[in-house]
Amino acid sequence: MIFSRIFFAVALFLFSLMLQSVSANTLIETDFLADKVASGQLPPVLNRLPENPQIVSFDGEFKPGRHGGQLRLLMGKQKDIRQISIYGYARLVCYTPDLELEADILESVDVEDGRIFTLHLRKGHKWSDGHPFTSEDFRYYWEDIANNPEISKGGPSKRLRIDGELPVVDFIDDWTVRYSWSQPNPFFLPALAGASPLYIYKPAHYLRQFHQRYQTEQRLAELVDKYQARNWVGLHVNRDRPYKATNPDLPTLQPWVNTTYPPSQRFIFERNPFYYRQDSNGRQLPYIDSVAVNIASGKLIPAKTGADESDLQARYLRMGNYTFLKQAGKRSNFNVRIWSTAKGANTALFPNLNTKDPVMRSLLQDVRFRKALSLAIHRHEINQVVYFGLALEGNNTVLPKSPLYKPEYQTSSAGFDLEQANQLLDELGLVNRDDRGVRLLPDGRPLEILIQTAGESTEETDILELVHDSWLDAGIKLYSIPSTREVFRNRIFSGDAMMSIWSGMANGLPNADSNPAPLAPTSRYQYQWPQWGQYYESGGTAGLKPEMKEVNQLLQLNHDWRMAINKSERHAIWQEMLEIHRQQMFTIGIIAGVKHPVVVNQSLNNVPLTGFYDMKPGAYFGIYKPDTFWFSEDRR
Amino acid sequence: MSKYIIRRILTMIPTLLIISMLVFVIIQLPPGDYLESHIAELQSQGEAVDEQKIAFLREEYGLDRPMYEQYFYWVTGMLQGDFGYSFEYNLPVTEVVGDRLFLTILISLVTIMFTWMVAFPIGIYSATHQYSWGDYGLSLLGFLGLATPNFLLALIMLYFANVYFGTSIGGLMAPEYINAPWSFDKLMSVLEHLWIPVVVIGTSGTAGMIRRLRANLLDELQKQYVVTGRAKGLPPGKLLIKYPLRVSLNFFIADIGNLLPTVISGAEIVAVVMSLPTTGPILLSALQSQDMYLAGSFLMFLAVLTVVGVLVSDLALAVLDPRIRLQGGLEK
Repeated sequence: MIFSRIFFAVALFLFSLMLQSVSANTLIETDFLADKVASGQLPPVLNRLPENPQIVSFDGEFKPGRHGGQLRLLMGKQKDIRQISIYGYARLVCYTPDLELEADILESVDVEDGRIFTLHLRKGHKWSDGHPFTSEDFRYYWEDIANNPEISKGGPSKRLRIDGELPVVDFIDDWTVRYSWSQPNPFFLPALAGASPLYIYKPAHYLRQFHQRYQTEQRLAELVDKYQARNWVGLHVNRDRPYKATNPDLPTLQPWVNTTYPPSQRFIFERNPFYYRQDSNGRQLPYIDSVAVNIASGKLIPAKTGADESDLQARYLRMGNYTFLKQAGKRSNFNVRIWSTAKGANTALFPNLNTKDPVMRSLLQDVRFRKALSLAIHRHEINQVVYFGLALEGNNTVLPKSPLYKPEYQTSSAGFDLEQANQLLDELGLVNRDDRGVRLLPDGRPLEILIQTAGESTEETDILELVHDSWLDAGIKLYSIPSTREVFRNRIFSGDAMMSIWSGMANGLPNADSNPAPLAPTSRYQYQWPQWGQYYESGGTAGLKPEMKEVNQLLQLNHDWRMAINKSERHAIWQEMLEIHRQQMFTIGIIAGVKHPVVVNQSLNNVPLTGFYDMKPGAYFGIYKPDTFWFSEDRR
Repeated sequence: MSKYIIRRILTMIPTLLIISMLVFVIIQLPPGDYLESHIAELQSQGEAVDEQKIAFLREEYGLDRPMYEQYFYWVTGMLQGDFGYSFEYNLPVTEVVGDRLFLTILISLVTIMFTWMVAFPIGIYSATHQYSWGDYGLSLLGFLGLATPNFLLALIMLYFANVYFGTSIGGLMAPEYINAPWSFDKLMSVLEHLWIPVVVIGTSGTAGMIRRLRANLLDELQKQYVVTGRAKGLPPGKLLIKYPLRVSLNFFIADIGNLLPTVISGAEIVAVVMSLPTTGPILLSALQSQDMYLAGSFLMFLAVLTVVGVLVSDLALAVLDPRIRLQGGLEK
């Protein structure tokens, strides 16, 4: 009896040993790191991966690949190297290509009642310098950064508050952290998954040396001097910029780690040997060994891309470059793919409902006037002339791929109907015209609409030129006023601007869990109601209180959405808000779904044939996980 | 002489002080400040703007202080050799500019040499063979160089160099050599890229110099001492080089005052178009983003060079041209 029990135990032990050796054998060491492993500088791959790494499987057009190669990218400014933190897209939780949230760096997240978030880290996960990544790194952020009165003057970031309330943060053990609020916080996980995310973890072991609490005063003074900072706070903030990727010494969890100190014209990012993902064949990701970012003037980038100086380029390219790139692609070995963009509208008109001119204000606040303006825009013509007919014509709303989409959101009052437009304008009492055929306002002035532009894109002025012609047929004279971006915004904020042209909803692919705040007056950067937005933003100390019924309804719905407990409730609220926008036409969308050329080297695999290219929510290439891109034999 | 030099140096102080004020005010003139343009940029990228962080940066960069205080801080810093901090690069100004100075000076010197090598023979030929076919033909070429927009020429040459020689577009070396230690291959790569900016920047300068040299030399060639020399049987080449050419070079020495700052700043527009790693593009982008200490310190540096350059050329003229005398005015 005893014998058999011992036998069983021994057998079990042997079996577990065998299992371990099998899994060790199946992991494949990266050639790039083999020397360092052999010389003992780095542990073997088994010890570099977490105990429970994220195992990536591939299907459809995506295939598991091999290690090696250097990815060349072009950027216009040195500051742009932060794009690598976006493309890398290793986040605590992340969006999948279907825009669902899933645990990424975290092993899992438990959510209770939408207000208690328990984050489980991967045991054995390490920073890029090999130091363990544990709840201490979360504690350091929360206690020594977010709640340090010198580093964070007003307390923790607004993004962590819900109605001003701060979370209770518990560090349960080395691998478990809990954030809890007393009411639901639907913003927390999306903020962690953002393209420019909320970092609630910091490499404590590295940053401590710059922190007053952990460093002797004398040494701190030396460091402040060495880095020419103003004081230790400036030093700490400056050393701790995970997003900007300017400090090669700062440990990271991203797939590639910067190795070049700025200033430079070329930055090399090398693979993170302690990355937490592997493929099903036992290869630690990323496949590509290094990323070389060359800085060139933004205007030269299309030409340089055409000369095959980039392996994956979309930034600084425009649809206007398409034919040139296509032709150049025949000489060199790259493909040009056409991706879509995810903005609710690439160009939209923003009638300023808070404009100073009282006559114009009451007109602009009348929904019939806004509808007339929309009906008098020939969107089809604009699409054909400016976008080769490849864009979507319609309102500033969600895109067809969003689960919230309804066709009427896009098409309602967005057709070209001069007759109806004229009829609406007549109804408003704007019947008298001057000798140019321009309608006269009630106070006798001609109906001249000045549209502010930021003066940055010729596309906008081309569109306005076309809008000008069709509006004139409705008796409205349009003038476009180019300025610079700062002046442009200040004119809108102050109410000097009557109307402006800018891009519409930043995220055209929301789902029920996305924040609907952009639909309600919540920020002064919403150019259709800057003062109302400022009122909300400042808690009522600045700006104007919204008076329109529908606008207050939107604010109420925005609030309800935050309090909503389940997805179907949120879905219903989104629909209601979109419906109000459809009826009220607060912004006049012109064109959406503009295509974007993406240049991909022929040897580069796993870049999807079609996708969408936008910062929100896609993190550009991020949600397609560039750590899974790989080069075929000939390029390695 | 030494009294004169001291007086000149002393007058430089108020000049530079006034320049520093002008520079500072002009940089501050556009509405907003660096953080405003920073916010605008973040938003156009769809990135989150953290008001708290902006407030922190405003204090950290001292942008919340009144303007005269900022000016005072900057000027006193400069006197101690601290040129301030670049907001855009998050680095001290000296570090941002430092690395690029060498390549800028290299391009400028090579360009100046190119200009001289082309302009001198042509200028002399045009003057000595006035109204000949050669004079007309070369003048036409020179004017073409002057009239063609530099940036256009730059783009065309970049394109053809890429298509026919496989030279990478823009920059001063192939990407793989950036940050690499100097080697023979790197040098060859630099030479391969260098000729385009040199030719482009050089063409317009060459034309101007040909015209000036020709005009000055023509003035001298008519003078009696030349006729006398010729009558006494001096060989034409020796006569030309020893007398009228030397005198006609005065304008050239007077030009040193302008030469010094251009050596450092390079040709901004061409450098931006060709994305050269020189100081010109830095200055331009610093002005655009209102990175005031970087822009201001850079402009001040140029101002100092101009003032010093003018002094040097004045002194050189006094030494080289026997007709120029300090006491001239006093004696009469």
